[in-house]
Amino acid sequence: MKNNGFKLLIGFMTMVLLSGCWDIKDIDKRALPLVMGISKENEEDYKVTLQIPIPQEDNKLSRTVTESGETVASVLGQLRTNFEDAIDYSQLRLIVIQNNLANNHQELKKFIKFLMVSEDIPSRALVTITDDNVEDVLSNINEKLGVHASSIFDFFNKGAGWAPEIFSIPIWKVYRSLYSYTKDIAVPVVRSGKETVLTFQGAAILKHGKIMGTIGPDESQLVNVFRNNNEKGRIESLGFASIIVTNSSLQNKTSMKNNSPVVSSNLRLKIYILERKEGIKNKRIIKELEKLTEKRFYRLLKRTQGSHIDIFGFGQQFHQQISYHELKDWRNEYYPKLKVKFKVDADLE
Amino acid sequence: MTRLLQIGITFIIINLSFGYLIYPDLIYKLTHTAHWELVMCHALFQLFLIWIFMKGLSYFPQKDVVDIYLKIGRWLAFLFFIPFVINLIMIVAFNIRVHTEVIISIFLPRTPIWAILILLFFISAYTATKGIGTILRCSVFISILVIPLVVFNIFSSSVNFDLHNVSQVMDLPIHSWLDIKFFYLLGLSPFLFLGFMTSETNLTFRKLIVPWISVTLFFLSVVYIPLFIFGQETVVRLTNPFVEAMDSVDISWFSFNRQTVFFGVSLVGLVIFANAVILWMVGQVAKKISEWRVIKPSHWIIGASVLSFMFALIVPNKTLIEKYFLWSIGAQTVFMVITPFIIFIYGYLSERDVLGYEE
Repeated sequence: MKNNGFKLLIGFMTMVLLSGCWDIKDIDKRALPLVMGISKENEEDYKVTLQIPIPQEDNKLSRTVTESGETVASVLGQLRTNFEDAIDYSQLRLIVIQNNLANNHQELKKFIKFLMVSEDIPSRALVTITDDNVEDVLSNINEKLGVHASSIFDFFNKGAGWAPEIFSIPIWKVYRSLYSYTKDIAVPVVRSGKETVLTFQGAAILKHGKIMGTIGPDESQLVNVFRNNNEKGRIESLGFASIIVTNSSLQNKTSMKNNSPVVSSNLRLKIYILERKEGIKNKRIIKELEKLTEKRFYRLLKRTQGSHIDIFGFGQQFHQQISYHELKDWRNEYYPKLKVKFKVDADLE
Repeated sequence: MTRLLQIGITFIIINLSFGYLIYPDLIYKLTHTAHWELVMCHALFQLFLIWIFMKGLSYFPQKDVVDIYLKIGRWLAFLFFIPFVINLIMIVAFNIRVHTEVIISIFLPRTPIWAILILLFFISAYTATKGIGTILRCSVFISILVIPLVVFNIFSSSVNFDLHNVSQVMDLPIHSWLDIKFFYLLGLSPFLFLGFMTSETNLTFRKLIVPWISVTLFFLSVVYIPLFIFGQETVVRLTNPFVEAMDSVDISWFSFNRQTVFFGVSLVGLVIFANAVILWMVGQVAKKISEWRVIKPSHWIIGASVLSFMFALIVPNKTLIEKYFLWSIGAQTVFMVITPFIIFIYGYLSERDVLGYEE
């Protein structure tokens, strides 16, 4: 009997000790920021802005809070202290970086490493760069009528407002590109729009965390195709006709000739003609589209080869042909010598 | 037959538990290319040792490792098992602590370390005191909970795969075999506990082939998932490549929107079970080689877990933990290489009746 009482006591003690019910902050006592904006202020301080949706009917309300300080971690800590509720960063979906931080390559690298290592911030949050003031971009949403609090993120979300020109680049991909031997990355650039929440400006090319240049929406679309993204839904205007791409596929063949890499890639497009001027034949539209896309590709390739940026990620495909230690020099040794035979086959649906 | 199935599952779970956290790190540091060759080398070496071990044990039906050592000589048993038990206690301590750190970073950021340690130690020690029957039945239960999650994690992370990230399928650098880290790798695939379970069943080598194949496939997946997602250049810079790989997957329809939580939960199940088995081994050894019959094995188990709880709590930071964990794993490798050979040679000799004093 005495033994049973002892067991019972232990049982009750475990319920108290092991339930793990301490430090719990209930969901209604938490604030869940959705978007984080960051910029530099007078060369030294970091300024962090958070957009926090207010959970009410319709989800159309949100507020922004701003704080600045010497390091990003300290600012996040200050925000936690000053905010009424407990801030929980685990649902952060988008990081907006102002160009005064993004242009400084050491700072950007440090920031990306911080985001990756941080245990609070999920590494699958998307990254974007803006030329505008970050605060304006985040608060712009409040002035628009009938817009969801999550619409800044939805702009990049493949399940929502995404269009084939837009990159959705999560933190871990930017982090990966800091070290990758063979692949550079393009981060979308946006501005706050007059009538829409955001306008898409193109993309900034990052090489080891350094911005090497920008590309426009047309070119970023092409880069997206090489990233195995379907071109579906893309509308192209040829002057005398407009078409919409309904399906696309890309095939690459790689080989080495006299120690210089050769790629032949074949892009197949299925198109549908939306409008045309009178008397224009299908054949001409197809020819013109193929020529336009090929021209656009070669122009971008030439430009990037000149500045040693492998934006298409061709180097990835030579991992089997070139040894790992030689791949280190891919951008400088092999990529400028790369020959690409790019062929577009368009077809009516 | 059920027993055999349970032992097979136990083998898989223990290897899973040890493989997730340190294993991929070691592989990436050992080689830049042809990772699978290294994994296969390790797995085949493990298979070879298991074969020797099983062959040796088959000379002594209905006896476990401790009985056999006691038969060779009491002094040898002491000489072997005292460091062995100390090593097991260390492994339990650091293994639980390493997992605790990861669990905290995944989903319990505000809970203090000691609380999670108590929880894990309490359940492991409790399971261990209940004896081998409970542990084996538990293995089936845990496998039903955890294995689907493991498989789900593997498949869901494939959305982020870039198959081009892997460089050079062939051509493993020779020096990576001779590295001390390869030695550590072996310690992460424990099998000595099999020797404690043979007294109950007629476990043979052939019945372990299927568990071995699944464990090898698992090791390959643990190494290749982060590699396909991040690539070799990045993976060497991450502290927990596998956890990061899980975290990179964005499934918006999934509960909590992140599968890392489920990975963390499965880690809890795995670590509790693996340490229960180790603590049970400590109890078995202590029971058989100590002369004081008054102390029951469960007391030994409680004592050992309190001791290792202390060790787990004392170590101040993460880097030291990982260092100590690797050291204890290295020591485990020594036992894993020595034991099969001793048992095999002794068994071979006593069957030939070379040892004259055989009964």
